[in-house]
Amino acid sequence: MANEGHATTKPDENPILWVTRPMATAARQFTKSLWRPSTIVYPYERLEDPGFRSKVGVASGVPIGVGPIWDNYRGVHALNIATCISCNLCAFSCPDLCIEMVTVPGGDPKHPKKCPEIDYGKCSYCGFCSDACPEGCLTMTTRYELSTPKRSEMVYSPEKLQQVFQHKLPMNPIRIELPKNEDSILLDPPLCIGCNACARDCPTQCITMLDIPKPDPRPGEKTPRRIWKEPVVNDSDCVRCGTCISVCPKECLFWGAPK
Amino acid sequence: MSEMWINMGPQHPMTHGLWNLRVRIDGEMIRDVDPEIGYLHRGIEKISEDRHYNEVITLMDRCCYVAGFAWEHLYILAAEQALHVTPPERAEYLRTMSDELQRIASHLMWYAAFVQDLGLMSPFLYGMRDRDLVLDLLQDYTGARMTYEYMRVGGVRSDLPAGFTDRARKVLDWLSDRFHEYDQLCLGSAIFRKRCDGLGVLRANDAVAHGVTGPMLRSAGLKRDLRKDRPYAAYDRLEFDVALADGADVTARYLVRMEELRQSVRIVRQVLDWLDRHPGPSVADRLPRWLGAPYAPIGNEGYLLKRSYPKGIGFSSVEEPHGEAQAYVVNDGGEHPYRVKFRSPVFANISAARQYLVGYHVADIPPIMGSVDVCVGEVDR
Repeated sequence: MANEGHATTKPDENPILWVTRPMATAARQFTKSLWRPSTIVYPYERLEDPGFRSKVGVASGVPIGVGPIWDNYRGVHALNIATCISCNLCAFSCPDLCIEMVTVPGGDPKHPKKCPEIDYGKCSYCGFCSDACPEGCLTMTTRYELSTPKRSEMVYSPEKLQQVFQHKLPMNPIRIELPKNEDSILLDPPLCIGCNACARDCPTQCITMLDIPKPDPRPGEKTPRRIWKEPVVNDSDCVRCGTCISVCPKECLFWGAPK
Repeated sequence: MSEMWINMGPQHPMTHGLWNLRVRIDGEMIRDVDPEIGYLHRGIEKISEDRHYNEVITLMDRCCYVAGFAWEHLYILAAEQALHVTPPERAEYLRTMSDELQRIASHLMWYAAFVQDLGLMSPFLYGMRDRDLVLDLLQDYTGARMTYEYMRVGGVRSDLPAGFTDRARKVLDWLSDRFHEYDQLCLGSAIFRKRCDGLGVLRANDAVAHGVTGPMLRSAGLKRDLRKDRPYAAYDRLEFDVALADGADVTARYLVRMEELRQSVRIVRQVLDWLDRHPGPSVADRLPRWLGAPYAPIGNEGYLLKRSYPKGIGFSSVEEPHGEAQAYVVNDGGEHPYRVKFRSPVFANISAARQYLVGYHVADIPPIMGSVDVCVGEVDR
């Protein structure tokens, strides 16, 4: 095969150089690696160990400094049950549907307290749940060693996630940046029947039912409305979980830009 | 009966990933080839129709497992167009930096795999070692080494941590010192040159006819780079050169990728300087409700959101490390995309295998296919 138009053609050199030069480069790297190894003896040394961090600077021979590169790692979740408000946002935002809200003791019988139970057999560690958590009670830690002989042990109950929280592992300090103006819950007034379902199920109690004036009955209306109340959402308390939208029987609540 | 078909793959050291190259040989000579793909098909386009706009990003990282950021960027550009969202300037620069760091990591991965195909074990180790430093940087601000989930519709997930730009500059200094070592190990080696010079020639007119893009096209001397020709993100505000070679063979592809590594380092340096000087928000002021939509009543999925959000169609194309990738997203007003379609550059590049393999020896297949930089994840999707 002809080698036409190559930028670098073979120079007129001693052919021995063509073998010894690569070998010299490799030998240089080898001698460097004798006192600056690029590898970690994993089960005995860990990147996240405080003692090893001081050596990170010289691993691979690169003086990149001791950065907090390990703190941002997305590993097993930690849950603080005390501050969880059962808003369901973590379960809503999970792309793998690995989060199930299970009842934990602590709620009143009418509104049981529900906290996330995570199936690590499905979890992809994308961090959407901890990004979505409005209270910061579900965070990701740097723990990554999860192997177990039983599949059932991959399902972490809220109590088990609480134990991770109590270990006080370094929490992932990355907090998602939120847009300044978020959409609000809006109401389509003619559809509302004033059933109170949204105000009853709101996890932050930010919906109040206000009285509205009773208008004249519309012509052709078969079932006249009996409760003359409408929900009003307090935007500053709202965590945008959408529970009210999902429980509304008449589909009269929706997302939109506030007027 | 002097000719026979042999299967190179799906489990073969030559195939980096699950695919099969059927080769018709006459002794040592290749008479015909037939690439077979589909072993890694996961239906990402169809799954995307059942995910919220941001949740598709988790699939994009798994689409191409060595260049996740390029595919995130590709999808995000199309989705933003479909959703009528404009990202702030800082987010555009952060995405550009992510893209270029990913290009460095991807090309180093290619370098490591390619030289290993040639039987050179030491350069393989050096390539993997230096790629790990880039992955350290990516983990620094995204929290993961391969599946980043960093970009969002309307911006990025979070800004850079403190001290990141200094760490990145140290890594870039280290990397730019290494490139001449790679050249010494490969271009300066008689073994490498004898196995690569003049192999797998794909001339520019054949490459265009087969839809071949990326470093394979530029190695044939055609100056085509979407970062210059159709700038997206912040590329129109940055200085860089398009890597070119004119040999159209394996060595030319090596030269193009090595030059792209140097240009990527140059781009990242400029972006880091810009990021230091211009603090600001990294996510748009107003966004649709995007952290996860509420449950809709059964049978009325998407109804609630269709009431308030506009429809739209998005198309984007980016210069991925392997070539030109394109995405098409249709937003019908619902909470999920109505249709998502991707164009993979490697699909076209290995479809042209008959053009650059026939006529060479069987022993030439590993260097030639290695120089194509096959990533099966994006071919099959």
